[in-house]
Order: sequence, then C-alpha cells, then structure tokens
Amino acid sequence: MTTIRTPLAADGLPATAIRARARHGTREVFPPVAAYGAELFGAGSGAGSGADAGHGHADELDRARIVPPVFVPRRLEKLIELGREPLDDDVSLRTVIGGFDSALPLYLSAFGSTRAGSGDLGIAASRQAGRLGIPMVIGENMVPVHGYRTGAGRAAPSAITARIRAYLDECPEGTGGVVVQQSTEDADSEVWNLLYSAPETQPLLESGRLAFELKIGQGAKPGLGGMTVVDEADADRLGKRFAVRDTLGPGSRLRLASPGTYTEEIVRQQLRFMRNNFPRAKVWAKFHPGRDIANAASTAWRAGADAVTVDGAEGGTGWAPRVFLDHVGLPLAECLRRIGRPDGCLLVTGRMWEGGRVVRSLALGATAAGLGRAALVAVDEDPEDGLVRLVEALALESRLLISALGKYTTDALGPDDLWWPDRPTAPDLSTSYGTGTAGPHLTDTATAVAATADRIGGRA
Amino acid sequence: MPPTEDVGTTITNAPGPAPLGEHLRSPSLGAAMLVQQEALYAAREFLRSRGFVELLPPLVGPVTDPGGRGAKALDVDYYGEPYKLMTSAILYKQASLRGFPKLFYIAPNLRVEPPETRHTGRHLVEFHQIDVEMAGASRADVMEIAAELLRHVTARVWETLPEVLSGLGRDPLAFAELLTGKFDACTHAEAVGRLRGHGHAQSADAEIDWTGEEALSREADRPFFITDYPKGSRGFYDREDPDRPGVLRNFDLIAHGGFGELVSGSERESDYATVVTRMRESGENPAKYEWYLAMAREGIPASAGFGMGVQRLIRFLTGLDALWQVSAYPKLPGVIAP
Repeated sequence: MTTIRTPLAADGLPATAIRARARHGTREVFPPVAAYGAELFGAGSGAGSGADAGHGHADELDRARIVPPVFVPRRLEKLIELGREPLDDDVSLRTVIGGFDSALPLYLSAFGSTRAGSGDLGIAASRQAGRLGIPMVIGENMVPVHGYRTGAGRAAPSAITARIRAYLDECPEGTGGVVVQQSTEDADSEVWNLLYSAPETQPLLESGRLAFELKIGQGAKPGLGGMTVVDEADADRLGKRFAVRDTLGPGSRLRLASPGTYTEEIVRQQLRFMRNNFPRAKVWAKFHPGRDIANAASTAWRAGADAVTVDGAEGGTGWAPRVFLDHVGLPLAECLRRIGRPDGCLLVTGRMWEGGRVVRSLALGATAAGLGRAALVAVDEDPEDGLVRLVEALALESRLLISALGKYTTDALGPDDLWWPDRPTAPDLSTSYGTGTAGPHLTDTATAVAATADRIGGRA
Repeated sequence: MPPTEDVGTTITNAPGPAPLGEHLRSPSLGAAMLVQQEALYAAREFLRSRGFVELLPPLVGPVTDPGGRGAKALDVDYYGEPYKLMTSAILYKQASLRGFPKLFYIAPNLRVEPPETRHTGRHLVEFHQIDVEMAGASRADVMEIAAELLRHVTARVWETLPEVLSGLGRDPLAFAELLTGKFDACTHAEAVGRLRGHGHAQSADAEIDWTGEEALSREADRPFFITDYPKGSRGFYDREDPDRPGVLRNFDLIAHGGFGELVSGSERESDYATVVTRMRESGENPAKYEWYLAMAREGIPASAGFGMGVQRLIRFLTGLDALWQVSAYPKLPGVIAP
C-alpha cells in the first residue's frame, strides 16, 4: 500500500524557516550567499529571520516628531543680525566633526572590507565625499584583506590608497578629513603605522586631516567581528590572518575577524597609545550599541578621543547573521538616551538617509551623522554624482527643518525639538539617570528618550 | 640627483649628509668613528667586568618590538611568512635570560620613523643600541648599571682620545659633573609639571615630546633620570607598578646639554596573564606573539634592563649636531638614501 506523504503542519512555528534550516543547516544562519556583494544588510534590510524583518522598517528614532515652536526667540536674534526675515538658507550646517572642519553635519561611514564597500563603489563614494567637504571613514580589514603595497606603484594602488587618493583629489583645502579604522587583525598588519609614514598620507597629516579610529564594534553585529564571504582561493590566502569556516556550504567560505577583547582599562590604554604614538593624527573610537554604551563613550572621551562613534543596531553595511540583524544591540534612540548629554563629539550611524533622521539625532546630542548604506546605494545609482545629490537633498531637508524650529546652527538643536507620540503629558523630571548601566529600568524606549530629552534640555 | 640632496636643500639650519662617498671622507665622521670604536670597546669592557655575556642579536623574527611614536617595522618575506626586521630585540633579550641571566647585545635596529622626526637631530632609521638585560634585577639595579656604563665609557674615551674630542670642540669641563656627581632623578609627572610651568603643552599621558625633552636636557648640568612613565606611553613589556596602577617601573636617562635621551629601560613584565592583558591595552593581537607567549607561559625570569642608543651616545660625546654626523651610513626619516 502506498501512502501519500503530506507536509507536517506546525501552527505557531515558522515552518518555512525551519525547513530551510533542515535543508541548508548553518548556511541559513546568514542572508543568502548569492546576495553577498549585491545587497547591503542591516536592520530592516529584510535579510533577518524575525517577525520585524522587512522593508519600510521604522524605528524609535523615526517615530519622534519634529515639533517647531510658535515663539522663536532665536529667529529674532537672526533677524536682528541679518536685518531681514531669515529663511532656511540662513541655516549654517557647517560644523566640526572629530577635529575636522566639515561643510555639513555628515560624514561618510566606513564600509569595511566587504565586496560591496571596497570596490568601485567605495572609490566613487570617496571622490564624492571629498567634493562635498565631509570627512570620510575607511573601514577596518582593508589592508589585511586587500593588501597595502601592490608592488605596481601608482598605476595599481591598493584599495585603501585608491580611496585616499580619490578623496584628496576632490576635497577642498581646509575641510574634511580621512579617518582610518583599525581592529584586532589590522593591528597585525600595523595599518596605522603603515599610513603614518606613508608618502600618500603626508598631505593629510600636514593639514591636520588624518584621524585613526579604534574600531570596537559595528551596529549590525554587536559582539562579533567583521565577516565576509570569500571563495576557496581567497580563503586559503586569508586563512593565516583570519578564521575561515565552512559554515556557508560548498563553494563559499565565511571569513571571520575576532571582535577583540576590551575592558574599560584596555579602551583607555589603547586610546592613550594612539595619542602617544600618532600625535599628529586625531583619535576616534567606534562602539557597537552595547548596553554599557554610556560608560564606553565617556571612557573614550576621558581618554582623549576626538570623537566617539556609536553605531546603532540599525547601522552596518556588512554581512551579519540574521539573528543579529533582528535581535541584537540597542536601537540608536536608546543609545542616545543612555549617553544623555555627550561629554565630547558624538557621531551616530544607522539608516541615515534623510534630513529628518539626521536632525533628530542632532537634537538628541549627536554632532554629526554617518552615511553608510545610503551612500553606497547612492553611488550605485550614479557613480558620478549620486552621493552629492543625495546629500544635497538631505542638507536641504535639514535646513528646512532647523529653520522651522527657529534655529540657525546645528548645535542650537535640543531634545525639546522632538516629541514622541506616547510621551506622558507630565514627565517625571525628578528622575535621575546614571551613566547608563545603572539607570532605572524603562520598559518603553520612547518614554525613556522623551524623558532624556527633558533632562538634557537647554544644551544649546 | 643624489638621493640625499633633498635634505641638504630643505633644511636651513641643519644641513643633511653629503652624498655617501663624500660623507665617508668627512673629518668629523672620521673623528666620530674613532670615538665610537673606543666607546664600544669600553662598553664591552665594563659589561664583561660585571659578568654580562655578549650575545649577537637576531635580525628577523615573526614579531618585533611594536612600534612606538609612529615608527613602524619592515616586513620581509621569510619562506612565504611575513617576518619583521628587528626594531629592537627586547623580546629575545627576555627569552635569552633562560640561559644567560646577565646578557648584552650591540644590536642593529631598524625603525621606519615618521618623516616628521627628520629634523630632530636625534632620529635615524638604522641605528644601534647597547642592549642590557639582567635576571632578578630591580629598576634601581639597572639604573645604576646604566649610569656606571655611561661614566665608564665617557672616562675611557677622554683618557684615550682627548685630542679628538677637543678637536671637535668638546670641553672636558662639560663632563666634570657626569664623572663625579650622582645623577638626579625626577618622575614623569614632575617633568610634565616643569614643562607646563615653562608654558610647554606636554601631555600627561604620553612620552615627553622631542621639544620638551630637549628643553629639560638643556637645563641640566649632568645626565638625569626620568622615571615612572604612564602606561600608554610605552610597550607592554615595561612592568606596571603593582602599588600604583597606571605607572610603569621604567626610566629614561637623559643627557645634559640638549642631547636628550640616551637610555630607555625598565623592570620587565614576566607574568603571562599580565603580558597578554598589556598586549591588548597596547592594541596588539596576542596571537601574533605566539612564540613569546608560549615561553612566557612556561616562565620567563623576572628581569630589568635597558637599551643605550649608540649613535646618541657618540653624538653626546662628540658634541655634534645630528645623529647622521656620527653614522657612517645615515638613513634619515623620510629620506630615500643608500
């Protein structure tokens, strides 16, 4: 007798996902291998596994409304200064980012060593960031993965020198800067040492436009190091510097960098080492959205960091396990709440693609916002001018919004410029927050952000 | 165009070396080489008399002393493995204590210094140091050895080559205090305070910068020690004071007269777990130091030691302006030279 087998039902469980795991095993922990290098990942990319994966994802920061006041004393000040009614183009977006003068409160985020970020798109983005006069961060693992000296001189520059040259060729003097990350495996390649005495970086050093960023984490995968998909030949080449695993099944290998081991003392000392060893370079530190982000950020500022970058859980361009994209790390809004009033230059990243999100971040204490995935998509759309046009749109939105708030500089923004729909009508202003980890448990992030907004009000 | 002409044309107050053939014939280099020969003879004589054994240092290895102040190591292809040319053989000195509890090298070193150090008069890419290490010694023990070594070498060179030194314009009176008096010592924090008192913006977390060190050196009439550098300013092998976290049990010996640092030394960290943690604090990946850590796990003797820069010592003795003048084959930072 023949029985016809019907698929086993499992109400309440994502049977499709389970079946995919049953068929493909560890490969299913990650977004599709075929999408690697052709698709950018991060929270809301749709590559995750959880219920909230999908396009059009809005996070806590997006839910805050920007709320112009009726009475605008700052506009009166500006009116007196100008002798006429101010308009949106009277808003100055010029600012200082981690020790660099910048035309806008924006910078080009690191793309890392993934295929999408280190090829032609990376060069196109570098060239346009230079033209815009905004700082550019070059990601970690570029040198250990792609090498530094190719042996062919200027005709065939390495990935990192090509990006620096493209940026410098376009960047006006006196603005912008180049920031180079280094993480654990990069230390083996001594990336910072290489660059500090390299002929191509001397113009940056001489004009005070070189910074080194200690890469401690990334928003898309807090607690993990860099991950890329490589073929068998590259796997053999990289196997001595990185862990290389068969996780993805035949034909592809997963290259893993270590996340690095940090304690408060290790962070403090590494930053001191950077200041001691590279006195002419600015010092930046980048953190993943960890639960102790407030302590981490203040440790870095106390150790002399010129900028602290916080990559919200929405950030990151790289290859990350689905479970990390959906479930790991604090959203940027919560990071900003925990940090409160920053003790130094605070830079934030995570789905920055329009002016409203940038203005919200600035209102909550950030000095500038980094463009990562949005910048790559923009240069993919138009390698010549895509990023410039995206940034022009974003700058216009920002000017319109800041002007609507009755303010004319980015540092005049404050938490009172924002409102969350579920904010209590009478927030408890007596609540005292610690440095983050010891703060009160707040079940509603939006409430928490609103309360913080009150606490750090008057920053301007 | 001679490869070194760049230096001669860009420095107004401190001309660089002439083309190598001409430089080798210069009378001042000839005098300096006589002083160097005598100084090395005297250093060996002194150290051997104190029971130190001379070893020859390695030139390449899987790792070397991590670069400080922006200096970098050079990579070489060693049967397909990326090896380093020694920036200093400190790790080998510590390892060698297993068989040689008192040892020294006259060690060649190669540090690709940042181009900005070209004008200090105190930096070369290739240089030598008298590297001394002693098992079971304290910082005070090796500070005393460094001071006596300097006194012995200075006395011997003046005994044997007085006319050479005088011919270079050196006055024996400049060394009177060195030969007779005890060397003073101040802490890094005190040095920072003095410099700030003079209006010099010296970081409390970092090495004394070149200008600050020269200023302190000019104020003195005999060599002096600076001790207790802050963690974050030196390598992972300098031992942290167990009673004062953040302070290292190390020292520099600074020459008087503006000649600056001659010696750097310290008690060494030998505890395995502490070494690994200190490597992380200095941004290093411990896996890179596999052979050294394997040895540290088995046990490296506690020790203290120092390195005395040979060219800096000779420049101090001869009174010449720059290190390139006392090097037969000078390689200035940032200058492509033979």
